[in-house]
Amino acid sequence: MPIVELQHVRKAYDTKIAVADLSFQIEPGSMFGLLGPNGSGKTSTIRMMIGMTVPDAGTVKLFDQPFQRDLLTRVGYLPEERGLYKKMKVIDQLVFLGQLHGLDAATASKRAYAWCERMEITEAIEKKTEELSKGMQQKIQFIAALLHEPDLIIMDEPFSGLDPVNATLLQDTLVDLRNQGRSILFSTHRMDQVEKLCDAIALINRGNLVLSGGVREIKSRYPRNRVDIIFDGDAGFLDHPTIESAKNYSGHAEIKLNDGASAQHLLAAAIENGTHINHFEVMEPTLEEIFIEAVGGKADA
Amino acid sequence: MRNIWLIARREYLERIHAKSFLIMTILIPILMGGLLYGAAIVNSRIGSNHIAVVTDNPKFAEDLKTELSPKTRQAIVDVYSPTEPGVRDLLDQRMQKRSIGLGGYLWVTPPAAGESRGTYEWDPKAKADIVTKSRVADAVRGVLARETLAQKGMSAAEVNDLLKPVELKPPPKDRKNSDAAFASAYGLFFLMYFVILFYGMNVARSIIEEKTSRVFEVMLSKVRPAEMMAGKVIGVGSVGLTQVAIWIVVALAAFKIQGLGSELDALPTPGQLACFVIFFILGYILYSSIAAALGAMTNSEQELQQMNMFLMLPLIACSVVIFRVVTDPDGPISVFMSFVPFCTPLIMYTRIIVHQPPVWQIALSIVLLIATIYVILWIASRIYRVGVLMYGKKPNLPEILRWLKYT
Repeated sequence: MPIVELQHVRKAYDTKIAVADLSFQIEPGSMFGLLGPNGSGKTSTIRMMIGMTVPDAGTVKLFDQPFQRDLLTRVGYLPEERGLYKKMKVIDQLVFLGQLHGLDAATASKRAYAWCERMEITEAIEKKTEELSKGMQQKIQFIAALLHEPDLIIMDEPFSGLDPVNATLLQDTLVDLRNQGRSILFSTHRMDQVEKLCDAIALINRGNLVLSGGVREIKSRYPRNRVDIIFDGDAGFLDHPTIESAKNYSGHAEIKLNDGASAQHLLAAAIENGTHINHFEVMEPTLEEIFIEAVGGKADA
Repeated sequence: MRNIWLIARREYLERIHAKSFLIMTILIPILMGGLLYGAAIVNSRIGSNHIAVVTDNPKFAEDLKTELSPKTRQAIVDVYSPTEPGVRDLLDQRMQKRSIGLGGYLWVTPPAAGESRGTYEWDPKAKADIVTKSRVADAVRGVLARETLAQKGMSAAEVNDLLKPVELKPPPKDRKNSDAAFASAYGLFFLMYFVILFYGMNVARSIIEEKTSRVFEVMLSKVRPAEMMAGKVIGVGSVGLTQVAIWIVVALAAFKIQGLGSELDALPTPGQLACFVIFFILGYILYSSIAAALGAMTNSEQELQQMNMFLMLPLIACSVVIFRVVTDPDGPISVFMSFVPFCTPLIMYTRIIVHQPPVWQIALSIVLLIATIYVILWIASRIYRVGVLMYGKKPNLPEILRWLKYT
């Protein structure tokens, strides 16, 4: 039973088609990455999932039921364009938002304190939002989306604007939540995070699905034709006929081989050439490469 | 319902706790009181009470002075003889001197043979001073009437009786006099006018604030746009009502302390008072809803300022017809205007005070009013929701109309 199921969903605003024809599903207990260049329809897709807009055609199912607002009490949402009430104290704000999700004030307050401790912002609890740094505000918004212990967590660009320490804290929290059996969907531009975190992805471009499936499975569709070499000395071996293209960052070469070519020949040629090899790795293409290839290299994301 | 209540409570508490609320609550009555008091002082000294009269009849000058002096304020009348050489130049000079404060002079030429009345020439210091002019004209007419009546053999007491102003009293069955009715009708009008002026736009502002801080997308994932709108109108609206309630209680207490309790008898009957509360609150909600719609359409305070007139226009229309309504409460214009929802609160209430209209008319107007509030809130919430998707650019009217069709 998929947690989220989109079937031939379409949404147009005026003359602009935001989502053309999109189908995918999210399995329970998985971390799902929604990828795509800017303006590809990620946010429009997410908005249809939480009922902020209704699709022009197609159906959205949550928890195996056709969309209805009551189901939203089981969904936690962090929008990309997020804000807080500036004049409100953090704790009041969290309790208020929790109450809107159906919690009573006491439960909301108890959970808010626990989460603030976990997100290492206890000192901010009694402060007004306008006194906090942007990163702290983002953590509070993150907590606000989770207070009612949702089964499905939807986050639009959750990592944007976070420093590495806080991004890691957030990543770890998301992994914990997934391990507790929650389903998580997030959109991002950061392919390294997707590779690390996601079980499955959907890649969309211009409102259409380009790729979808498990991360492992998608990568295995591509040949292991990437070679990463760190070397000292002569770079002459980079002209070897097995190489389709190579980028040399002064001693660190990223190489794409011709179809069917063997990396062994390249290694042999390099050693023969007298180059000292410190590191030699044959890899699948990274998601980033797959991404760029799939959207035609024209993405500005 | 729970969400509306939560949103309303948040808006209310945030505003009540703001320092500006306390300051406004104290400052506005002081400023308004100062303004009214100042206006009373300024207006009581309108016109000059120092004039000169050029006549060879000292009796006329004396009578004129008596006629010009009301009980509270003694007039000064300088008397000159027309035969005095250079009297006109002298008076012109005196008029130019500020310290003397001469408001003008009256030159009396006795009637020529065969005429009953002399000629009276008035040369004022300020050409546009019509107040002093009409006061002098009235006084001269009074003096002439007294003189004539005295010549016909009437005693001074008889003349006084005859010239006393007439007071029109209300019939004994009507406990309220018409002055009190006017006062309460105008009272409501200005109360509503000011409350809408001060608070109506607050609803719009709070919506724009939420757009600027981008809280509204977070909120819309939890509540329906209509709940958001209703919560805001109720929450921000209650702040205004709280403030008005504080002022009214303080004002009533001040009346009681000052021993002016008897003045309160002039207040409307309980039924009329109930109507006041109903129409005041409904009117307030109506205008707050319009403000909410305006806030949903705009993205900044500056844009909102340009929309301000949509809020004020219906109020101004009401103030134009209100005199008509007071004098002709059952006339076609009054009845028509009382059914235009934007004017119902003011016009229908005025009709109720002045002359009780049929109950079905009152009921119908209330139903129309509530329906209008509902429709406006519905429109506002639609625009608000679509505004999430498109911001940064000011929508034009066709776009707004198209938004209404979005789902």
